[in-house]
Formats: sequence, C-alpha cells, structure tokens
Amino acid sequence: METAVFRLDGVTKRYGDLLALDQVTLDVGVNEYVSFLGPSGSGKTTLLRVIAGFEAPDTGRVFFEGRDITHLPAHERGIGFVFQNFALFPHLTVRQNVGFGLAFGKNPLPAAEVDRRSAEMIAMVGLAGMEDRGVDQISGGQRQRVALARTLAMQPKLVLLDEPLGALDANLRGRMRNELRAIRERLGVTFLHVTGSENEALAMGDRVVVLDRGRIIQSGTSDEIYDTPASPDVAHYLNRFNLFDGTLADGQFRGQFGTVAVPGARRAARDVYAVGYDRMRVLPLSSSADGPKLKATFVASEYLGSSIMNFFEVDGGGVVEMEHHLSLGAPETYAPKQDYLLTWNPEHAIVFGREAR
Amino acid sequence: MESRVLKPILGVYVAAFLLFLYGPFVVLTIISFQQGPEGGPQFPIIEWSTYWYKHIFGLTPPSRIAPLPVGEALFRSLVLAFMTMVTSTVLGVMAAQAFRKRFKGASFVFYLIVLGMMVPGVLTGLGTSLLANNIIGIERHWYTTAFATHVAYTFPFAFLVMLAILNRFDASVEEAAWSLGVSPWMTFRKITFPLIFPGVLSAMLFAFTLSLDEFPRTLFASGRDQTLPLAIYGTFSVEIHPNIFAFGVLTTLFSFALLSVYGILMALSVRRAKKMAMQEDIV
Repeated sequence: METAVFRLDGVTKRYGDLLALDQVTLDVGVNEYVSFLGPSGSGKTTLLRVIAGFEAPDTGRVFFEGRDITHLPAHERGIGFVFQNFALFPHLTVRQNVGFGLAFGKNPLPAAEVDRRSAEMIAMVGLAGMEDRGVDQISGGQRQRVALARTLAMQPKLVLLDEPLGALDANLRGRMRNELRAIRERLGVTFLHVTGSENEALAMGDRVVVLDRGRIIQSGTSDEIYDTPASPDVAHYLNRFNLFDGTLADGQFRGQFGTVAVPGARRAARDVYAVGYDRMRVLPLSSSADGPKLKATFVASEYLGSSIMNFFEVDGGGVVEMEHHLSLGAPETYAPKQDYLLTWNPEHAIVFGREAR
Repeated sequence: MESRVLKPILGVYVAAFLLFLYGPFVVLTIISFQQGPEGGPQFPIIEWSTYWYKHIFGLTPPSRIAPLPVGEALFRSLVLAFMTMVTSTVLGVMAAQAFRKRFKGASFVFYLIVLGMMVPGVLTGLGTSLLANNIIGIERHWYTTAFATHVAYTFPFAFLVMLAILNRFDASVEEAAWSLGVSPWMTFRKITFPLIFPGVLSAMLFAFTLSLDEFPRTLFASGRDQTLPLAIYGTFSVEIHPNIFAFGVLTTLFSFALLSVYGILMALSVRRAKKMAMQEDIV
C-alpha cells in the first residue's frame, strides 16, 4: 500500500491467557481520522499502546511511513499519544509541559525557539495567558488542551488519542471534537482515536473500526457502519438498534413480534432481527395493522436534546427503545404503565441469520 | 460501650509508650547538667552546670577525667554515614526501578536483598571480618569492610521505601514523555526523579541514621579506627561520667535537626505530589 502512512500486519498480543489482540491487520492513509469503537476489554487501548511502542506485540509487524517499527522503542517512533488521564507533568507549568518534547527530545531546540514554538501551540489551543500556571491550576478541559498541544508541538505525522474526551463533560466534549477536526485540517495529521462512545466514533471518524475481543469485526465509513452493521455484535455496540432473538427459516423470521418475511439477510453465527430505534412506530393497543407487532408497556422517556427516547418493556422483561426526532414534529406523549403496540416497516429491519445467503 | 473501656486502656498504653521512649532521654538530659568534675552520673543533682558540655569541647581546665575520644570517631561516622547514604539510596532507587518490570527470579532477588536487614548484624560483621582477613587477605577499615556491611544493611531499607513509592507511581507520565521523543534516561531525570523525590529523601534519611549508630556489624568489620558508637562504647569500660550524657544530648539534637530538614524538604515535595494527585482525581 503506497498511500498508507501506517500499517498493522497480523498483530497479536496476549496477557497470560487473555488474548488482547488477535491477528489485527489494518491500513491507515495519510490525513485519515480513524475511530476505534468497542466495549471495554475489546483491545482498543492495547492496540494504541502497541502502535505507540509501550507494549511489544507477540507476533505481527507494525509499519510507519514505510519503516518496520515493530521493535523500535517508543521515544524513537515519532508517534504522538494523548492519554485518557492526560498524563501531564504535574511538577511543570503549562509552558514547560508543552515545550518538554522540544527541549528534551531527540533534537533539542535552543531555549528561545522552544519558548516561541510552545507559545504558538498554546495560542493555537486557546490557552494564551495561562503559560505560567501549574497544571493543577487549570480546568479539565484546559488540561486536555495542554495534553494535545504538548503532543502536537512535536509535529507528529500520527497521533493516537486514548479516549481523550472521556474525562470531559458533554459541553466541553462537543467543543473539543470541533477543535480536533479543525486542528487536523490545519496540520494534516493522521489521528487514531479510541473511544467507548458510539456517538463520538460515528461523529469523528472518516472511518470507524469496530473491535471485539481483540479482533476487528467491521471497518468502514460512519454511514456504512450505521446502515449496514456487519454482525449482531456491531449492531449492539452502536447502541442504535433494538435486537430481537428468533429463528430465520425459509426467508421468514419468527420472533416474539410474529413471523415476518425477510427480503434479505446477512450471514451471522446466530439469528438476530435488528430495528433502529428511530424506525419504531407506536400504535394504540386496539389498532390492527399488518406486519410485526409487539405488545409493550411504556416505562419512561428521556429527553436527549434533538430527540426523545421512549422506553418500553415487553413481556418477558426486555426493553425496547423508540427514538423520536424532534425535527419531525412534536412528540407523542404516552401514559406510564399503559400498553401499546410497537411496529415497524419490515424493509427497514436488518436481519442476521445462520442460513443467510 | 466498647470504646468506653478500650479508649482509656489504649490511652494508658500510648502514655506508657511515650514514657519509655522519651524517659531515658529526659533522665540523660538532666544528668548531663550535673556539676563537674566531681559530680557523677547519679541523682540528686549537686548543682546545675554546663561543665560537661564544656568538657566535651575541651573548654575546662585539665582534670583527671580524660576528654571523650570522639573527635575523629565522629568525623569517621559522619563520612561513613554519608557514603552509605549515597550508595544505598542510589542502589535502592535503581533496584526498585528494576522491579517495576517483572523478570525471571524477581522474588528470589527480592528476598536476597531484604535478607540484608534480617541477618543478625553480629554474624554479618564477623563473617565480613573473617572473609577479609582469612580468605581475601585485605586489611579491615571503616571505609572498606565496615562500609560494605553498612551498605548491605541499609540498602534493603532504601529499596523497600522506593518500591512502595514506585508502586503508586503513575507510569503514564513517563510514557507521555517517551511519546514526545524524550529518551528513557532523560525522562527519568526530568520526570520520574522529581516526582519520586519525597521517597528518595526518606530512603536517604533511613540509610544515614541507620549507618550513623550501627554497632554490631561495625564492631567486627571496622578494624583499628573506630566509629562513634564504638568509641563511646569503649569509654564505658573505664568509668562513666556525665560527659557521655552531654554528648548523647548533643547527638540527639543533631538527629532532631536532621529530621527538621527532612520535614521541610518533605513538605515542599508533598505540595508537588498533591498536584499529581489532583490530576489523577479527574480521571
């Protein structure tokens, strides 16, 4: 791959009996923004640590800018890393933190040049005037920006972000997302971003890579991942689908909502019927309609800003979620503990099955 | 109900503990102000005076009581304690640093190091002196053989202190430095060391004070020139005068001064450690 700035080739990493990474192979292009999504323990952080050189893979190779860096120590790789806890140097000021790599790295710069470049970076992340504060005298969001400025000051071609927005509140998180995008457009850096938040992954990444139990289970653009999840697990992690168990046989899916004709199904290890939260329709219990029907009791609703999430409980204890986008009009109100009929257009469902073609 | 019984008992226990800890020192201090040169180490105080303090520094008219032979011994002990402190602390930091990574035989090496503070001192001293005299065939000196026993004794303390400190150390700041292209050695100098400095200070204090009053190992291993504890012990065999008590008071005051310096330095670096803790809080 000529355009790949970075490449993983069959990387495997074990911790005792635990297989943290299992034959991970991945190409990342110049100036690409890749989000890694997966539950905790899926190996995403391990993956970043192997790329950064903090951990050595058991087998497999890591290539960066055409060089095999599998056995190169971390400080010789030139790959930036932004930590979840920011890992700022607590005994140094903001300025000293940002200038640390410039002053003590591989090619130490003269003090005046270090000051000039750190001042530039500090201004870029909007912290001008705070240069001489200790890192305990600034807020969480400001620390995050110091961590970013410290990394970007070294002008790395590749920056690894380990859930860097996880420690921030929702408001700050949104702002930092925008800043990250802007920085990337300005500096032409390739970002690999690990996150446990499906929203963040879908919003930030040119490409989303879904990890589970140390393996890449799907890789694609946000649209692809969202519209066509490759497996029930991916659909589950996206946290945007109601998943129903049942059996797929002869083009028919039989589940607790009745038997529904399935136009097309995806091959998977188990039979699962997935319907997006925003594809669900709520009808009065008395209405009679064709298609899938599910009797459910309204439990509660949650206001999410641009939409409302309604929670229903079906017989047998499962929770079904229904999302109403406020842009589509005012939301219906439902009475708690009241029974309703849930339905959807079967064409919008995504079906997985063992017998799928 | 329980605490109504337990609390007074514990209170009495602590009072007794303090009495036994400081009682001897108080008695010693009182007797050190005995009149001289006729007054002896007993009550009652004939007349309060600072005679014996002057006696130590040779400021009294000559009498039948010889001045304490401590001048050179004190110098030797301080130099030896300093050498031991530096060596043991450097070794302790390095060894504890090595134990951050798991390696083959780690627990064996751990017990081997800790053995140094477990083995009876007399045995170590005797063994060292036999080894030097009969097997290697070198002369014993306070700065060679005794120094070796002091390091073997204090190194485990420094090692354990550093191990405890490094156990709680958040390694991500080091990884952050590496990812900025900073070499591991530079990272240690600029990041790790400043952050573990409170621990280093404690390790130094341990090594210095343990070496300063070490007796059994030094007894056999130091050869002809004596260290302070040996010199003091030597004077006991003749006759005890309050000048020893006066000297004891002075060395104790010196220890307190040392502790104060330690306390001040510690307070300064703890302020720094707090910053670190705050940073971890937000995670």
